[in-house]
Amino acid sequence: MDSVTSPVIACWWANRPLATKGLVVVAVPLLIFLGSVAALYAISRMEARAEQDVRLTIAIQNDVNEVHALLAEASSGVRGYLLTSEPRFLEPYKRAETLVPQVTARLRGAIRDDEAATRLARIETLAGQKREGLALLLAARARTGADVVGDPAIAAGLAANKQVLDAVRDEIEAMQERERELLAARQDRLDGVRRNGLIATGLLTLVGLVGSLFAVFLFSSGIVRRVQRLESDAVLLAQGEALETRNAEGDEIGSLAGRMVEASRLLRARERALREGEERFRLVIEGVRDYGIFALDPDGKVVSWNTGAQRIKGWTGEEALGRHFSMFYPGDDAHKRSMRNLADAVRDGRTEDEGWRVRKDGSRFWANVVITALHDETGALRGFSKVTRDITERRRAQEALELARQEAEQASAAKSLFLSRMSHELRTPLNAILGFAQLLELERSHAGQADHASIQQILRAGRHLLALIDEVLDIARIEAGKLGLSIMPTSLETIVTEAVGLSLPEAESRHITIVSEAGKLSPVAVDPRRLLQVLLNLLSNAIKYNHHGGTVTVMAHDVGERVRVEVIDSGIGIEPEQAGQLFQPFTRLAAGAARTEGTGLGLSLSRALVEAMDGEIGYMPRADTQGGACFWFELPLAQTPTSPGPLTPRAVPAAPAGPREATILLVEDNLANAQLIEAVVARHLPQARLISAMQARIGLDLALRHRPDLVLLDLHLPDKDGDWVLAELQASLPEIPVILLTADAIAAQGEWAAHGASAVLTKPIDVPALMVAMNTMLQERTA
Amino acid sequence: MIAGQSARDARIFAIDDEPANLALVEAVLVREGYSHIETLSDPRRAVERHLAFRPDLVLLDLMMPSIDGYALLDSLGRLTMTGELLPIMVLTADTSIEAKRRALALGARDIVTKPFDVFEFGLRVANLIELRLMFKATRPNLRFD
Repeated sequence: MDSVTSPVIACWWANRPLATKGLVVVAVPLLIFLGSVAALYAISRMEARAEQDVRLTIAIQNDVNEVHALLAEASSGVRGYLLTSEPRFLEPYKRAETLVPQVTARLRGAIRDDEAATRLARIETLAGQKREGLALLLAARARTGADVVGDPAIAAGLAANKQVLDAVRDEIEAMQERERELLAARQDRLDGVRRNGLIATGLLTLVGLVGSLFAVFLFSSGIVRRVQRLESDAVLLAQGEALETRNAEGDEIGSLAGRMVEASRLLRARERALREGEERFRLVIEGVRDYGIFALDPDGKVVSWNTGAQRIKGWTGEEALGRHFSMFYPGDDAHKRSMRNLADAVRDGRTEDEGWRVRKDGSRFWANVVITALHDETGALRGFSKVTRDITERRRAQEALELARQEAEQASAAKSLFLSRMSHELRTPLNAILGFAQLLELERSHAGQADHASIQQILRAGRHLLALIDEVLDIARIEAGKLGLSIMPTSLETIVTEAVGLSLPEAESRHITIVSEAGKLSPVAVDPRRLLQVLLNLLSNAIKYNHHGGTVTVMAHDVGERVRVEVIDSGIGIEPEQAGQLFQPFTRLAAGAARTEGTGLGLSLSRALVEAMDGEIGYMPRADTQGGACFWFELPLAQTPTSPGPLTPRAVPAAPAGPREATILLVEDNLANAQLIEAVVARHLPQARLISAMQARIGLDLALRHRPDLVLLDLHLPDKDGDWVLAELQASLPEIPVILLTADAIAAQGEWAAHGASAVLTKPIDVPALMVAMNTMLQERTA
Repeated sequence: MIAGQSARDARIFAIDDEPANLALVEAVLVREGYSHIETLSDPRRAVERHLAFRPDLVLLDLMMPSIDGYALLDSLGRLTMTGELLPIMVLTADTSIEAKRRALALGARDIVTKPFDVFEFGLRVANLIELRLMFKATRPNLRFD
């Protein structure tokens, strides 16, 4: 029973609410106390009843004795009266007559014992008989008078009376005996009750004591001990220790304990999550190999370390922790510099530095360092995080790159120098050869016919060699990127016309007709001089490789974003298998080699030039059946349409009544443009003085020296860009208006205006626009 | 050509490290009738000889191994007094546009690329002599020799 029930009870008990427990703990001793009091009361009542019984028995005995005494005295009195006839002897009798019924009545009320009651009834009967006998005696006396001794009746009456009295005496004695027995029994019972009461009191005291102890035990086990356990749990919780999970009792303390366990579990879970997060973070940080990541305290002492830091700096975590980070700085002022970095980080929140740092073994590395100041939520400085990268390799690579760049630049410069020298070295001897040959030819009156022919051979061969050198150098320049192209929107018709015009003498000498079918074309973005060179080359070939009296046709038309030019001859054409070699240097096809002059570089150079101008060049057989060759090239269109070619007569605004003695500075490297502007100024501002420079520096010098009234500035200059000149002019002579001349059609006027330009004119120069601009500026200047 | 007699008297100083070219220049100039011709194939002595000879025209080769022709051009330009006009013609085998620009920027009055046409060279020399003589005529009180 104990093994099963006790836990059940304990469990039941534990699950009661605290109020119930308190009630129980208080009620148990109280109930026991009340029980004890009730028991003592009952015992005292029983004792009192027993005492009363004893007292009653004694009273009954007294009353019985009194009845006997009364009857005996009455009998004696009657006898005395009978003998003496004196009335005073009747007194006991009379008292008995009144008292006996009273006493017997009292007895009847008092007696509860049945036997005693029976005896009392018999005593009463006998007492009545006795009193009747006495009354009869007295009556007989009265009838007979004084002499009663001899009277038999009286004698008989006396004898009978005596018998009755004896019977009463017997009965009383029996009754007394009975009462004595009763008294003894009752006395015994009283004693028993008293003894039992004593025992009961002792027992109750014991029970009360045990009950109180039990209540205390219950209180202790149910509340105090658990509250104590709860307190120790709270202490553990405060220390962050884990609490054991136990069966939570159903009362408030159990619930509290359960909540505390839950809180502990939650705390543990959070702590674990936090720790896991921190661990993960730490592992990530520690595992980073490429970056040295570590923390410093506010004084600059290392407080954390990672793999990368160890790898980069050579110190292990144990060695580095606690040491000042200035040990990573080389030099005598390491501490000062390191603290300056920290001060910068504190001031700006973060500082980045690049420089040499030193490893444990004393070797140096080029480091990129980022130091970030760490503040807590109150804004107090907690320390610094420092991320270090070893970028020695990158620096080396950069240095190598820089070296390579310098070498490339040197190589390029060397190449330029070589070209220049080659040009010089090849041309210098030619100078003497051709010069003296010319002189000899001039003196030919002194020479013979054969000598004259020889001199002609020298001159022809020398000029051929010169052409060859020029073309080789041109190709070399293109390959070296040294061919200074001056790309501008150019009217193709003008170039074609010029090329055809220049080729006419050669064509006429061979009776070859040149037909130009170039119609109205969009301007192309090319270097006009170089385009002319290409066209002359193709025309020259077309004439050379033509038959006597043949034709050369130049056709040009727009093809989308490009313009296509075709030069078609009526010669024998080119064998398809040879077509592939056409643009190779020194390829002179067998067909015409024998009887034609040429360097063999013309097509090669033409291709290089066209490609340098973002064009394309090629060959195809003539489309019709007449044989002959067709060389074509395509060139990109200029961005915007241009005005008609320069010097086209146009309605020029009437010369305004402006100042005439103005000084105009022209900074322009393109000779054609310079000539155009000179012509314009000479014609429309005849009294104006035009000074010109072909280079930016010289232009600026002239401006400073002459302080012109107007500057015309080309943006593309050989030594420095025009915007540099513009900036310099703005800095030193901001009052002088500047008109920009640019081939860049998309240059935004507003943008240049912001840089200080008064006007922007795009090339080719629109003469009326230039006039208007110049007049406006000069008038403003003198106004 | 003005004052023909005096033009032929002009003093011409030719500097070139290539003797063949110096010979050619001298032959052409002699053929044109000039008599005061000074040739120098060692450009390091150019300044010294220039001061001694007091030329009316300098013909200078730009590409010489022993000295930078541009530097020489600059220093010869500096020898001329302020306000004086002493034309320098550059003879160069460098046909690049940069070379031309640089030479002109440094004060060359003319550039002739080698190999040159003998007639053209003669005419250009005559032009510069004329310029020089005109300048001298405008400044009679300056002593040039």
